[in-house]
Amino acid sequence: MHKLSPTLARLLLVLVLLVLWEIFTRFSSVSAILIAPPSAILWQMAQILVRASNVPDFYANAWLTIVEILIAYAVTAAIGVLAGIAVASSKVIGDAFEPILLVLYAVPKIILYPVIVLMIGTGPATKIVFGVFVGIFVIIFNTAAGLRQIEPNYLRLAHSLGYGGAKIFFKVQLPAAAQTVLAGLRLGFGYTIIGVLTGELLLVNAGLGYLIDWASVNYYTAQLYALIVITLAIGVVANYVVGRIERHWVRG
Amino acid sequence: MTLRQPKYLTLAIRFAALGIFLLVWDLAVRLGWIDPLFLATPLDTLEHLVPVAEHAAPDLAITVTTFLSAFAAGVIVALAIGFAIGISHYSRRMLLPLLALGVTIPKVTLLPLFILWFGIAQTPVIVFGALSGFFPMVINVMTAGGEVKPNQVLLAKAMGFGPLQIFRKVTLPAMLPVLVSGLFYACNASMMGVFIVELALARHGLGAVVHDLAVTFQTADMYAAVLLTASITAAVNMALWYAARYFGRWRY
Repeated sequence: MHKLSPTLARLLLVLVLLVLWEIFTRFSSVSAILIAPPSAILWQMAQILVRASNVPDFYANAWLTIVEILIAYAVTAAIGVLAGIAVASSKVIGDAFEPILLVLYAVPKIILYPVIVLMIGTGPATKIVFGVFVGIFVIIFNTAAGLRQIEPNYLRLAHSLGYGGAKIFFKVQLPAAAQTVLAGLRLGFGYTIIGVLTGELLLVNAGLGYLIDWASVNYYTAQLYALIVITLAIGVVANYVVGRIERHWVRG
Repeated sequence: MTLRQPKYLTLAIRFAALGIFLLVWDLAVRLGWIDPLFLATPLDTLEHLVPVAEHAAPDLAITVTTFLSAFAAGVIVALAIGFAIGISHYSRRMLLPLLALGVTIPKVTLLPLFILWFGIAQTPVIVFGALSGFFPMVINVMTAGGEVKPNQVLLAKAMGFGPLQIFRKVTLPAMLPVLVSGLFYACNASMMGVFIVELALARHGLGAVVHDLAVTFQTADMYAAVLLTASITAAVNMALWYAARYFGRWRY
């Protein structure tokens, strides 16, 4: 028997599930408020994208969410990598701060969310700061781990070749650590998106979170599903792009 | 004993950093950098810790029960599905990308759907908490299966080990570190899921307590509740973190 490739089988599985979902929603007695058929969701998505839907200011809100994610990630990546370098730079500093970072990492960040709202308010800054909190730790840990796992002989060789501290860092340490650091940056990106969107869904005053809440409270079920799919798609596409960039750099 | 010994230096730096953090926190309120309406001093927070703990005890019990149900459900389903899929190489290659997608997509966007389907009592909290914990766990269960090296099993068989002995001496030790670190990620994610829903809509549970204290500006009480929650969750997660390292120690 000729076996299907796993990728094709996966696509088929998703298709079958969508068809079953479509049939189920068409023929079952479940209220149309609770569940929309995939065809209606797809149609609604198309309408939203060409501004033919009743969803208010889709592009402005989507843009706000994307900008929040980008700013949050820029801050997360910059501070995360710098903090990781600081932690890995000396054993004493690493040993001193790692337990603190570990405890912070072990706290589900959502607990800090009310504190951030109280201190910063309910604007975009709150979502950005929360996104940074959720995303930063994996970047710090991966950067530190990447810098530490370097073969000591490389450093000795660089020393004996007369490289200075900065040159060793950029020519030896950073390239050797790149794979682990980039993996951290990719994971951190996914977490940052989750953090920002959590803020959006809890604050519901602007962005895609606001639109999702708008569709939800007005019982526009097709719009609700369509907006959720669009939001998830933004997350999936963004993660995919970052994953590709990572693979490109690791190889190059 | 001089301070030159790295161990003391490490402790000195750690406690100095924590001291500076507490000092800045305290001064921020005392010198009016931040309105006391939004931030309570460390001392105030500490004083409110015991009264808040007493006041929140019933809600803590609810959150613990909810979390344990969600966590257990997510982990058990993940174990069943993970092992079932992990048996065949083909099904693993087919389904792993879909399940990995479940970790990275921002599931929080589905929150309005959960409310639509499950109402606003405890059910959506449990379902969302279970779902949050399921994905990281199922990935680790499937990875754990790959940790068992066929050669080692073959060797054990050749040495006359029975099936039970092989499981205890070869299979389990190989899988345990990955499974327990899966528990760590699942626990953290599940806690996050439970708190998100509690903050967003629940009337009972620690998340609801924190939310109510925040919107009524009982600031010191809120910080005490956050500190209490953070301590409990950090303790649980740290225990799992060290457990994962303990079960993985044979590798080094």
